[in-house]
Amino acid sequence: MKNGFWVFLAAFVALGASWLGLVYGPLKQLGVATETKVLQSDAKWPQARTGDATLGLQVYRSAGCAACHTEQIRQTGAANVLTITETGSHQPADLKGFINSLSSSVPELMNYSNAVAANLAGWNGELPKVLYRGAADTVVALLGDKLKAVGVKTEARVVATGADIARPGWGARQSVAADYLYDAPVQLGSLRAGPDLSNIGVRSPDLNWQLQHLYAPRSLVKNSTMPAFRFLFSVRKKADGPDAADALVLPKEFAPATGQEVVPTTEARQLAAYLVSLKAGVPLYEAPFTPITAAK
Amino acid sequence: MSDENKSCCSNETGEPTVTRSSAPMWIIVVTLALLFTGGLFFDSHSGWFDKNIYAPYQSREQLESFQPKSGAAAAMARGKAVYEGVCGICHGSDGAGKPGQAPALAASEWVTTKGFNRLAHIPLAGVAGPLQVGGKGWNLNMAAMGAALPDEDVAAVLTYIRTAWGNKAEAVTADDVKKVRAEIGKSPQPYSGAQLQAMPE
Repeated sequence: MKNGFWVFLAAFVALGASWLGLVYGPLKQLGVATETKVLQSDAKWPQARTGDATLGLQVYRSAGCAACHTEQIRQTGAANVLTITETGSHQPADLKGFINSLSSSVPELMNYSNAVAANLAGWNGELPKVLYRGAADTVVALLGDKLKAVGVKTEARVVATGADIARPGWGARQSVAADYLYDAPVQLGSLRAGPDLSNIGVRSPDLNWQLQHLYAPRSLVKNSTMPAFRFLFSVRKKADGPDAADALVLPKEFAPATGQEVVPTTEARQLAAYLVSLKAGVPLYEAPFTPITAAK
Repeated sequence: MSDENKSCCSNETGEPTVTRSSAPMWIIVVTLALLFTGGLFFDSHSGWFDKNIYAPYQSREQLESFQPKSGAAAAMARGKAVYEGVCGICHGSDGAGKPGQAPALAASEWVTTKGFNRLAHIPLAGVAGPLQVGGKGWNLNMAAMGAALPDEDVAAVLTYIRTAWGNKAEAVTADDVKKVRAEIGKSPQPYSGAQLQAMPE
């Protein structure tokens, strides 16, 4: 073994490099993550969960929800969008001519004049009208200024793009590491037999909706393939007097036999609280967009 | 034993030994070329392992260009745009001034005054004649470059020069500019250095 030292050194470097790249690097990069700031606000992100919701993560895990649901929104791009919101005293045809002559004569806008003209073709004055959509933020700022000077009101927005973002209610931006700060373990999921749940707390914020959906998915979503999680509920004989306050109000075909009622167990409540806590609706530095409410 | 099997080793009876031989040159060249192109790709797409940069964003500059702008950030962006279009032609886009054309604005005692009053008069009315800037005498004329700009733009550009290039002074609002403009009146006459000095900061 005359090359023993070199064999040892090569093995040490190979294993050491993997350790640096796979353990030390990620730890250095994200292992010390703390709450981040919400864009254009003093609020912190993410918000800490309630006790129920924290326990609900373990119910989510034991019920195997992550087998069919993901918690990760993907994004393929981003765009700066300039929209005309008010034309002032201008006629659409005149304004169209003005904008086209502007974008083909101002040097900074010349490269984008064709795109702007294509957006304006066939425009009859219906508002809001998207004037430019693309990567160049300088175009949005400059064109917005020039139009403001002639009394046309515009709105500049940043939007995330991608198939996930386009689905209604799935969230306005991609998931980033900060979103998972309070998840232990993180429930990323890898298969979408059901929809992504990153933003379910914004999509269906009603606890009762969540509980009914867990007990009888098809009573709310007609063609749902989700199994009913009846073991999270107890079906019991109605007591004399008024109904239990937390008994589910179910449509007739899903209701239990007469004289019985469906009451959620603690686990069901915790799971529902966890689901409602899943939100991905705020802009962050690493995943920017213009929230609808903050516009204008 | 056939001929083929024999042909591989000239010394059939001797013990095989480990020797060293250099790698072919083409492998070294291809490896270096791959490393180089990989490096170029990494440089432009990785964001250098920044924890805030996620695909599809590829660099901090790109991420910055998609940050929604409002409030102070928007005013600064606007101020920079106005400055570079109007003021920077003579004063320089780095605020360092140009010899024989315009004095520096970076670290200038005229710009970083406590109040905005004296400074705001300069773009709105202009300056004529001798002026001391940073212990150096200047004898030039400046037209009322800001007289035709809207109040918001003058305020944005004043805020920009008061906070860019290491300057640290308070922001100026459009209402402030409006007041100064009203004080100057409809037909502004350029001020002399002495007149400006006499004004309150």
